[in-house]
Amino acid sequence: MSEAFLEVKNISKSFVGVTALEDVSLTIRKGEIHCLIGENGSGKSTLIKIIGGVYRADSGTITIEGKELYKVQAIESIRSGVQIIYQDLSLFPNLTVAENISINQMLESNQQKVNWKQIRETSKKALEEIGESNIPLDERVENLSMANKQIIAISRALTQNAKLIIMDEPTSAITKEEVDHLFSIILKLKKRGLSILFVSHKLSEVFEISENITILRDGKKVGQYPTADLDHDKLIYIMTGCKLEFSPYIYNKKLRQEKPLLEVLSMSKINQFSDINFTLQKGEILGITGLIGSGRTEIAQALFGLNRPDSGEIWMNGELTDIKNPEDAINNGIALLPEDRLNQGLFDFQSISDNIIVTILKKFLNKMGLMNSAKRRKAGNDWVEKLKIKTPNSFNPVNSLSGGNQQRVVLAKWLATSPKVFILDGPTIGIDIGSKHTIHNIIRKLAEEGMGIIMISDEIQEILDNCNRVILMSKGRIIKEIKDSRTTNSDELFEIITKDTAAGVNA
Amino acid sequence: MKIKQLFSHNETYLMMIVIVFSLVLTIINPVFFTLENMFDLLRSSSGTAILAVGVFLVLLSGGIDVSCTTIAIAGQYISVNVLIASGIDSIGLAFLISILIGVSLGAVNAYLISTFNLPTLITTLGTSSLFHGLLLEFVGTKAVNVGDLPESIKAFAKVQILNINRPDGTSYGLSIFFVILVAIVLVTWIILKYTMIGRGIYAIGGNREAAKRTGYNVKKIQFFVYCYAGLIAGVMGVLHLSLIRYSNPTYLVGKELNIIAAVVLGGTKISGGSGTLTGTLIGVALITILEKNLILIGLSSYWQKFFIGLIIVLGVTITYAQNKISTRRNLAMRGA
Repeated sequence: MSEAFLEVKNISKSFVGVTALEDVSLTIRKGEIHCLIGENGSGKSTLIKIIGGVYRADSGTITIEGKELYKVQAIESIRSGVQIIYQDLSLFPNLTVAENISINQMLESNQQKVNWKQIRETSKKALEEIGESNIPLDERVENLSMANKQIIAISRALTQNAKLIIMDEPTSAITKEEVDHLFSIILKLKKRGLSILFVSHKLSEVFEISENITILRDGKKVGQYPTADLDHDKLIYIMTGCKLEFSPYIYNKKLRQEKPLLEVLSMSKINQFSDINFTLQKGEILGITGLIGSGRTEIAQALFGLNRPDSGEIWMNGELTDIKNPEDAINNGIALLPEDRLNQGLFDFQSISDNIIVTILKKFLNKMGLMNSAKRRKAGNDWVEKLKIKTPNSFNPVNSLSGGNQQRVVLAKWLATSPKVFILDGPTIGIDIGSKHTIHNIIRKLAEEGMGIIMISDEIQEILDNCNRVILMSKGRIIKEIKDSRTTNSDELFEIITKDTAAGVNA
Repeated sequence: MKIKQLFSHNETYLMMIVIVFSLVLTIINPVFFTLENMFDLLRSSSGTAILAVGVFLVLLSGGIDVSCTTIAIAGQYISVNVLIASGIDSIGLAFLISILIGVSLGAVNAYLISTFNLPTLITTLGTSSLFHGLLLEFVGTKAVNVGDLPESIKAFAKVQILNINRPDGTSYGLSIFFVILVAIVLVTWIILKYTMIGRGIYAIGGNREAAKRTGYNVKKIQFFVYCYAGLIAGVMGVLHLSLIRYSNPTYLVGKELNIIAAVVLGGTKISGGSGTLTGTLIGVALITILEKNLILIGLSSYWQKFFIGLIIVLGVTITYAQNKISTRRNLAMRGA
């Protein structure tokens, strides 16, 4: 066993009386890929910020390569070889790849003049080190994909003589293929003796990449295990402190009607999707999955009037409908939970209550056309209670809530319109496991009561666990429909999707 | 490939508009495309172009400065009054005083913006009014006529670096104003391209938070930007005085929007981080040609406002449309 690079001992930290970390210890060896896992609010971010010298611990010690850092400053941490890649990557979108990679080194060397030759050489070398020399040095970073942006951030860390790279949720915005590619880079770094601290809450990835796992819950370390000693269920149990039951969703055939709730006939839109046909019955949870760019989100938006198809028909309860805008969709009983809930689903600074009732404001008008505040307030509070949104007060701004609770607010907002068809695009993106489970249960309950649900996700397992029927998409077409999700498994589905996509790339 | 690259730049399209417009003007009035008229245009637009360089720098850093014209007029009016009162007839002193005033007023902007982290539009809107009020109350409101103007200032406008004789014995030439413009553009370009503070301006305009985390001294960079913009405004104040041979403390103020428009038209993003000096200069050229030449085509000067407005709206629409197209293209590429 190689020696330790980083030793964190008995760290505690509290913010204005609230304990964020309590007596947490963590050891990372040289060349080790270590995973830090825990639900939102468990203290992961606080811990990495303390290691990075952004926050100062109230007590405890941090030792890097045997040398204890007294009151870690950000610059000390960087000089000892610790590089943190935050979720937002801290890149400059307006500058070129080369400049983004070399910028830290330039600043560190404290020179006043800019040496463009050196910038190119530094960045070229950094990209070559991880085998990514095909990224053009003169391209502006804003024109790169999310995955390539990440590679730029990693290369930048390398120019700083990084010995430990901490990645905060690096896989939250990239596709499965890109995750695989990222992992191959991480393994390259490991071979060179670098240590990696990988912060995540996606369990499958954690199992794939890490050697050791440290688990935090409510600011306390609840365990450090070799990855091999854990399995999926055990890890969830340690993380959440409770056992979560998974059972497939079974469609109640009694709810079936002669005329389907929703029927889509040969819907097409140039460059997005073509010849889309499917039906949805009352009480069904229909899963749609495929890689990013497969057209799944575009279809959801088309059904909700945000993205008008070029041709095709949408039938609701046996009647042909024309959905030109979201208002038409709402009037037809269709609701959409958007993929990007922060930009599309919430008014950040407004209250939880107002965010929920915004879809049904008209209901609170009295005869004079004025708002009845008492009714409005009551409706907001009712929903907060119904969906168990954790807040001391429904008038707090919605951005005071955690991700899982925010998602419940968006759910409540659309449920208030009592939809017949509810389209959920990535309902649990960026939400931790406990909350995820609650949201799945809410969705199932809605379907059991007769609502038709379309669930879109790139997590195949999530689709299989919660949907009775699944549609697979690739490059804008439906490539397969699985009538009963119990007859298949996630590996099989993944293979179908990637095979088809790869075939298209080679063609 | 090279041509394709050329057409990926906004500047190319803008330059084409300038050329087409000039051709139309030349067809209507052949006088337009003469060296003499070009020299004259350069002289009369140098001031606007110089001020535009300052505004460009501020926009690049992610801010906006609407006080630049007020600073220019303050520099001009105070320096000319000092020259008259002291009896020292020196263009050098005029520049020195105007630049000192420009830098000090710029420093006030810089201090407020960098120390208290204030929104730049509101801050400069406020200081603009504040500076102007102080100027009118404490320095005066009386215009300085050509008769009272120090000789050196009048003479400066006539300095030429290139002299061409007409057949009838008179001559015309390229004004020293152009040299000053070129010098300022060159210095600014070098700062932006080859100094860390210049790259820092791009960095804070692109992602302020990241710049801070990376270790840039954001306050220092902002301080530099607003002081530099003030310095430039000071230079422009004296040029303007020398050109029109008259100083009225209510002149210039209100023209800042035209200048910001020229810079934005030149492709500089109003949200910061992106833009070029070339684009800025072409933007100024377009607005200047329009301003000075509508009369040549026989349109009243009231049409100026209309056309400037039209160009701004069209220019911004085109820029946005282009961005949208390239974003879509990127998305499509990701999808493939």
